[in-house]
Amino acid sequence: MKKKKKKKKKFNKYMIISCCSVLAVIGIWYFCINILHLKQETVFPGPFTVAKTFVQKMTSKVPDGATLPTHLLESLKVVLLGYSLGVLFGVPAGILMAWSKWVDRFMRPLFDLIRPVPGLAWIPMFILLFGIGIMPKAAVIFLSTSVACIVNSYTGIRQTKQEHLWVGDVFGFSNRQKLFRIAIPTALPMIFTGLRVAMGAAWMASVAAELLASSAGLGYMIQQGRYASKASLVFVGMIMIGLVGLIFDAILHWLEIKVAKGMNAE
Amino acid sequence: MNEKVKETMISAICAVISIGAFLLLWWWGTHFTTLSKLMPDPVTVFSSLIEYCVGTVGKCSLIVHMLNSLRRVLIGFLLGSLVGISLGLLMGRYMLARAIFNPIFRFIRPIPPIAWIPISIVWFGLGEQAKIFLIFLAAFANTTLNAMTGAMSVDPEIINASRMLGAKERQIFTTIVIPAAVPSIFAGLQVGISSAWASVVAAEMIKAQNGLGWTIQAGMDNNNMTQILAGIIMIGVVGFLLAYIMRKAEEVMCRWNKSGR
Repeated sequence: MKKKKKKKKKFNKYMIISCCSVLAVIGIWYFCINILHLKQETVFPGPFTVAKTFVQKMTSKVPDGATLPTHLLESLKVVLLGYSLGVLFGVPAGILMAWSKWVDRFMRPLFDLIRPVPGLAWIPMFILLFGIGIMPKAAVIFLSTSVACIVNSYTGIRQTKQEHLWVGDVFGFSNRQKLFRIAIPTALPMIFTGLRVAMGAAWMASVAAELLASSAGLGYMIQQGRYASKASLVFVGMIMIGLVGLIFDAILHWLEIKVAKGMNAE
Repeated sequence: MNEKVKETMISAICAVISIGAFLLLWWWGTHFTTLSKLMPDPVTVFSSLIEYCVGTVGKCSLIVHMLNSLRRVLIGFLLGSLVGISLGLLMGRYMLARAIFNPIFRFIRPIPPIAWIPISIVWFGLGEQAKIFLIFLAAFANTTLNAMTGAMSVDPEIINASRMLGAKERQIFTTIVIPAAVPSIFAGLQVGISSAWASVVAAEMIKAQNGLGWTIQAGMDNNNMTQILAGIIMIGVVGFLLAYIMRKAEEVMCRWNKSGR
């Protein structure tokens, strides 16, 4: 009992240090920008300017023609479209490649050709092919997502223990039963890792695509903020991008704990 | 043994068939469908890839563009991984360091390096610094996280044993924690190098005068699909080589740790 209490106290001490360090960073930030004026606010805005811009941007349409929620929705729409298509294609493709020798033999060489190219590098090609609407972005996100999903579900299925498959054989499982009752449950944690990695990649690809050629979305907003030399707007956009990424990751992590319960999910 | 040789033979034949089929489909698509208006056929792409390597794209040859990109990646990656690994090890070993840096790190990490591009241009201008800063961030985020997990998961029994034998805190850190974290650090470096490579391409696409990212971006601006495809192939080849070198380095330096990657 005493030991437990001590541990808790120690934990609290570090919590206080953490809070202090965050406050110290904000304090130094404020001190350097707003009191010492080391940098101009147009180049490096102070913390309160950023907060103020954030609140204003919720309703204001200056300088890029839409409010923050509109931009956010625009980005989300594209990401979710490309991501869900990518997952729907990537996970089954990865499982199939790992399960069937013949699919593996034919698909793998092609896949190995595409894999080393970062998803972002396809953006110019897709823009030329599809114009600058929702299509090229969705295509880039689809590609980044499916690569991450394929890699992870492939490794996941390959981790299935031979002994477990033998047990399946002993009980007279058909090939399909072995896949659905043994291999896929074994691979679930890896598949979820893939989903999370893919979400990060998808979110990054969408921001990059919006930076390059777009008329809405968070990436477009920060690019416009730079053109209008409103650094505070760029900060707001970056924080928003980071936050949304975190939220997505938390949702997927929660799903993983729910779905892959007891399958060595942390 | 014979079985193994047979298996490699079959795989090789299948690989040739599938890649051949892909190229044939591409060739057919560009010759007999409306795709021909947009896409060059594979023969054009490969012959101009060689042409670009020998001749020029923009101001210099494709090889020089590649070297420019590589230089940026290597400088940024070295700086980023050095800072990242040392910070990560400290954060993994010492509760105090973790309490101080972790909240800030956790705030910075989820922002993808790409999102830093506009602000880095505002801060550093259009020169090399902005790009190196981005690659620094990309390498930093991944290596810090992995070095931290590596240092945190050191077997406490080993640390206690060494303490019993009279090791000082500094000795524990240098002779036990650091070597034990090496496999995990390498995992971070692997992710870091591909992330850094993707970031340099993105940074060059948005603002640069040379580099592979510039090549594909300029191809888009001039409506030159051949140049884009040649650039993409080059980016893929270099990305593959970087990952391969990293994997080999890991094999050599972590020989005891056969994780079977």
